[in-house]
Amino acid sequence: MYNYVEDGDSKTTAYVEHDKAKYDAFMARIEAGEKIEADDWMPEDYRMALIKLISMHGISEIMGALPEKEWVPKAPTLRRKLGIMAKVQDEMGHGQLLLRVAEDLMKPYGKTRENLMEDLLNGDLKFHNVFHMPTKTWADAGMVGWLVDGAAIISQTNMLDASYGPYQRALQRICQEEVFHAQHGESIIMALAEGNEYQRDILQESLNRWWPSLLMFFGPASAETTGSSKQDIMIKYKIRKSTNEELRQAFLTKYMPRVFSLGLTVPDETIRYDEEEEKWIYKQPNWDEFKQIIRNNGPRSKERLRLREIAYENNRWVRQALATEPVSV
Amino acid sequence: MSKESDFYQVYEVFSRRGNKAPMQHQFSLLAPNREMAMIMAQENFMRREEVIDVWVVKQSDIRKMTSEERQHMTNRIDNKEYRTTKGYGYLRQKWKEKEQGMLDEKEIMSWKEVKKR
Repeated sequence: MYNYVEDGDSKTTAYVEHDKAKYDAFMARIEAGEKIEADDWMPEDYRMALIKLISMHGISEIMGALPEKEWVPKAPTLRRKLGIMAKVQDEMGHGQLLLRVAEDLMKPYGKTRENLMEDLLNGDLKFHNVFHMPTKTWADAGMVGWLVDGAAIISQTNMLDASYGPYQRALQRICQEEVFHAQHGESIIMALAEGNEYQRDILQESLNRWWPSLLMFFGPASAETTGSSKQDIMIKYKIRKSTNEELRQAFLTKYMPRVFSLGLTVPDETIRYDEEEEKWIYKQPNWDEFKQIIRNNGPRSKERLRLREIAYENNRWVRQALATEPVSV
Repeated sequence: MSKESDFYQVYEVFSRRGNKAPMQHQFSLLAPNREMAMIMAQENFMRREEVIDVWVVKQSDIRKMTSEERQHMTNRIDNKEYRTTKGYGYLRQKWKEKEQGMLDEKEIMSWKEVKKR
């Protein structure tokens, strides 16, 4: 599960004078479809963009397991419990792969996983907007698997050919596992959609609540909305192929017909596909609210961060017990 | 006293999917020792896939090619064709003229069983 949050309060790294020959060779390699490895020379702004993207992606996988894990003990059947438990484990696994990729990139700056955890807890490292939201009913467990993971799959598959080798290799595995997540979510949704009135009601209520978060998922269309955007540099360096808006449009095209086919509606009476313009027309979500959410002022931001902090503190004795020499704390 | 951050080592993880498959590099992980690395490897790479063997190797024990060495490898221009079957393709026609089939890779790799006597 992923997306790149435009956090609005960081400046794009200023262009630094690259070693021209190295830079040209680097660009020639990525233009030719070659993959850049951790120990290859890379421009500073490429490294910085990757660190920001991948550390956020990795930590979002871990923070994303938290709203879902709440439903493991409350799953309605044993089969559902096993399914959602497997999914939560996958998300933690994805987080571990991605944090490793980020750590190798941060190595020249002397930074480690411990720094990432600190950055998360002090608010410097953002996690994805959707994981600041509450999961109120079982329908939310389905909605996260179906549409939140659906949106994540749109973003992640867009980077399967990414120029950075280690990230792209992690994504091959992650996207394969996301197929299971998507179908797991669809199965929950299908049961509710074909269920009784109460089941259909909680499903519609869930979609109404998640709708703004789903639109926000892909980030604003341009930097004007939130003050900064890394999408241009990500496309220039072949980390991803499409813009935020192109990805959002692809999501709407893939999923809106399915939403409607289940007899569901979205809380935007103006939404329509414009045949002439060949795009979806929809009401913009509140981007100021988006900025607040990713600055850890969302409905569940503080609780989830506290949960992460407690887990880190409670497991300190394990790290101490396993250390070959005494660890200072 | 060491810092808590010094506690983790990077381990590279390899696994084999079946008896005929080569050991394949999966990814890396952080662990405080190799026993924990083995447990983490199973958590991270054996959740659902069929795996019959796992290796974990401390990354610092691996001599990897450097960035420069890799560039040199991919850009070398020496011709290795004389080490391959390329250039022997004309034999197919020759054998055909003598009403014989070509013993190509597919044919030879299929010779697992010979007639029992």
